[in-house]
Amino acid sequence: MKFTIYQESRAGKRANNEDRLAHCYSRDSLLMVVADGMGGHYFGEVAAQIAVQTLTESFQRQVTTRIRDPFLFLQTGMLNAHRAILDFAGKHQLQDSPRTTCVACIVQNNIAYWAHSGDSRLYLLRKGRALAQTKDHSRVRLLLEQGIINEEQASTHPDRNKIYGCLGGQQTPEIEFSHKTTLEAEDVLVLCTDGAWNGLPGNLMAVALKTANLMHAVPTLLAQAETRCGPQADNLSMIAVRWQDSYVDESSAGGSLISTKSMPRETVTTRLDEFGRNPRHKTELSEEEIELAIEEIRSTIQKYAK
Amino acid sequence: MVQQANHPLPPAFQLDEYCIEHQLSLGGFSIVYVATDIHGTRVAIKEYLPNTLALRGEGKTAPVISEDHLPAFRYGMKCFFEEGKSLAGLSHPNVIRVLNFFRANDTVYMVMEYEHGRTLQELIQKNRAGVTENFIRNVFTKMLNGLREVHSHRLLHLDLKPSNIYMRNNQTPVLIDFGAARQTLACDTPMLKPMYTPGFASPEHYSQRELLGPWSDIYSVGASMYACISASTPQAADGRLEKDRLVPAMVRWEGLYSDQLLETIDWCLCLNHRYRPQSVFALQKALTEAVIPPTPQPKAKWLDQMVGKFKKSRSP
Repeated sequence: MKFTIYQESRAGKRANNEDRLAHCYSRDSLLMVVADGMGGHYFGEVAAQIAVQTLTESFQRQVTTRIRDPFLFLQTGMLNAHRAILDFAGKHQLQDSPRTTCVACIVQNNIAYWAHSGDSRLYLLRKGRALAQTKDHSRVRLLLEQGIINEEQASTHPDRNKIYGCLGGQQTPEIEFSHKTTLEAEDVLVLCTDGAWNGLPGNLMAVALKTANLMHAVPTLLAQAETRCGPQADNLSMIAVRWQDSYVDESSAGGSLISTKSMPRETVTTRLDEFGRNPRHKTELSEEEIELAIEEIRSTIQKYAK
Repeated sequence: MVQQANHPLPPAFQLDEYCIEHQLSLGGFSIVYVATDIHGTRVAIKEYLPNTLALRGEGKTAPVISEDHLPAFRYGMKCFFEEGKSLAGLSHPNVIRVLNFFRANDTVYMVMEYEHGRTLQELIQKNRAGVTENFIRNVFTKMLNGLREVHSHRLLHLDLKPSNIYMRNNQTPVLIDFGAARQTLACDTPMLKPMYTPGFASPEHYSQRELLGPWSDIYSVGASMYACISASTPQAADGRLEKDRLVPAMVRWEGLYSDQLLETIDWCLCLNHRYRPQSVFALQKALTEAVIPPTPQPKAKWLDQMVGKFKKSRSP
């Protein structure tokens, strides 16, 4: 497998970031997960963390090189996360259990399989167009589909945050599955939370990510979305992956291309941020301390030099 | 490997008194280059550049560090200093030597000896037949000399694996990459996740980091020996805690290597840290013990081999 991938999450104008995202890959399989938590007192964060962690952990456990049945994997993973959130709520005697959306995607053998619950989305972008997109499990989308409201009304509808399919709710979550979708080289998959897609029409995303370096393009897109959403900007998160032909010459794609060919079997590389503490709380090194530390190391080196 | 890859400094870049030749490796925490100093001697230079916190674009020299990330970046720098400090104080033929340490391009650099050779990982993959009993005993006994020195400085390596053991061309091993050693100090920093490699990391690495000790490095040594023989990564310790599918070395390779060596490997790979060799010395003692060589198996003819296979496939 060859691909470039980039993930980023921003708090927007909120005090807290309740979005979680992760991706991991083995030699022949890639998993991406995005979750957007909801619930008071930071518990939304916990729900989202449980979702991404449950899926990545079972990926690490189950993958030898590939996942045997990707759809089954996604279903079990999401249902397990749902139960884990309920367990968490039970254990902490929470009146209202926290909830989270979840969209997850597996790519292997050049085929993408995805599933979602709630209003976090997946877009498949090909040749500068949005080829496929998940349908939000939200009231607003139902109204839109029934023709009761139009696109413009949808974006300002008071119920636009009301979603019915999510993990951790009272009902068993509604999980919707994609078809098996064969990827072509240069296809881009985007998984994002509503904070990100609210300010970014799919086609704009498709054009922006068509050929650009994801490392630069994704931060730019998120910054744009944040500005568009103004002072109310929600948390914004995005994972974008550009699929490459397995035969493509590595040197032509620059340094950020990941090739899994040389990975040992049963090894999984994971990118999942640890449960959030604010890095700002860390004591900072001052200029003098840096100089001092270097001086100390140099003198130790001198001491031991022959 | 890396998600948000940083661009390395270009070849021929003049970095302090060194001239960069090319990039050697790229990790999540740093980039390593081969360079030459003013005397034309080759050195390896490690650049502190955690890709979660600092990004360098193509053709740029200094990385971009957002204001949000600066405290964590500086904190990580502290850890890089710890690595430098601990290595600078170690002078041992089986541990990589630090030659210099300096600041440039808004970050810090560690200059190390450049060794001719390849990692144990590459070596065993290129030469499967070379992984004999003697080879394993030799390499690991010498490597453990280095590890003993590390432990005697009250340091743990915490990321031992075949790709972090460098084999000089004269077949002596050198311990490289002490990037995880710092984690004993910094495991509470969210932006710098505890670093370890599944398959080689001990069970303590995953959940009970307060139990980390020499025995944790010893688990990794056992896993490395196991990996040398099997040519693949052993099952990860967290998975083993749930369902242990790691076939003991004694079961898997009986007759091919001495029982004593295989038992030693299984001893290191005990899930309970108290059952493993408690010190490097204890392990070295086991590895240098004189043993009866394995009974040479009569070389089976191909027909017998086939018959054997059929028998085997029927029996379970």
